[in-house]
Amino acid sequence: MSRPELDDLDRQLIGILAQDARVSNRKIASDLGVNEGTVRGRIKRLQQEKLIAFTALTGMKLEKAANIAFMAIQADTAHVRRIARDIADIPLVKAVMIMLGPFNVMATCLYHDLDDLHRLASGRILEVEGVTHVETSLVVKTVKISNRVVRITDADTLSQG
Amino acid sequence: MLARPAAEKGLNNYMNDMFAFDETDRKIVEQLRRNGRATNQQIAESLNLIASTVSTRIRRMEEAGMLRVVAVSDFAVHGYHILIHLAVQVSGRPALEVAEDLAVFPEVFAAHLVTGSYEISLLLTLRDIDELPPLITGTFAKVPGIKSMTPAVGLDIVRYALDTGPVDSRSAA
Repeated sequence: MSRPELDDLDRQLIGILAQDARVSNRKIASDLGVNEGTVRGRIKRLQQEKLIAFTALTGMKLEKAANIAFMAIQADTAHVRRIARDIADIPLVKAVMIMLGPFNVMATCLYHDLDDLHRLASGRILEVEGVTHVETSLVVKTVKISNRVVRITDADTLSQG
Repeated sequence: MLARPAAEKGLNNYMNDMFAFDETDRKIVEQLRRNGRATNQQIAESLNLIASTVSTRIRRMEEAGMLRVVAVSDFAVHGYHILIHLAVQVSGRPALEVAEDLAVFPEVFAAHLVTGSYEISLLLTLRDIDELPPLITGTFAKVPGIKSMTPAVGLDIVRYALDTGPVDSRSAA
């Protein structure tokens, strides 16, 4: 992963916007004692460099699919990147990582009920060419979650899924 | 659709448990997911609403603890270069207690109780691999109840965008 160049002002900006993305450039500028153009320019740069993105985080109640499952997936090592991308394109798959360990792809999925989960695991994920095994763990309790730190991608896939 | 009658709005304020999203709320959220900095006016125009309806509804969802519009930041901003999944088996102690003890450490990015061959799913984020030995053999070793830890090393994050979950956390990204 690359190491971005961020100065104190960038970090202050990110801190403010992480609390509330709808605060105006004018308010940020006056709080930080810089001019509005600087704020606008910095935000634009941070977005262009895919370091920040503005989105809405919602309570689980908003989602029809309000349960989380982890899928530990064994996939053909020769094609693992393509396989991981194919899995990431499946709706309701929120996170996909290529791993080195007892499994080589890990996916975090949202589901509504067990039928839904079955369709996702057996129907969609196991159907991806090169996937040989899927082991599903259902989350029964979330003790800690960090939804403010993400991977910002080209496609910007932050929206729904 | 216009703003809700005041009486209904008042009801929602003290009955958060009963909070229900309607189609208009969902459409506003969808716009905000795409661009959290869109102005009320821009959102209103694309949904054929008036700007005050948009601002009222956003505030209502925020006050009910159901919505936060925020900047999310990339792993790179935080210098998290190492990502490790730990499948933790627990013995002789409730898994929830063990998970809560582990969750307090800043290196623990996420902790969930799960069904299956292990009880706790942990995601660790480290800035450097040198942080791993003291974390495992020092810090985690002091937490009672851990029977085994099976690691998987993250090689690439293809996607990571959990946009649902508890929204009340004010912890800086």
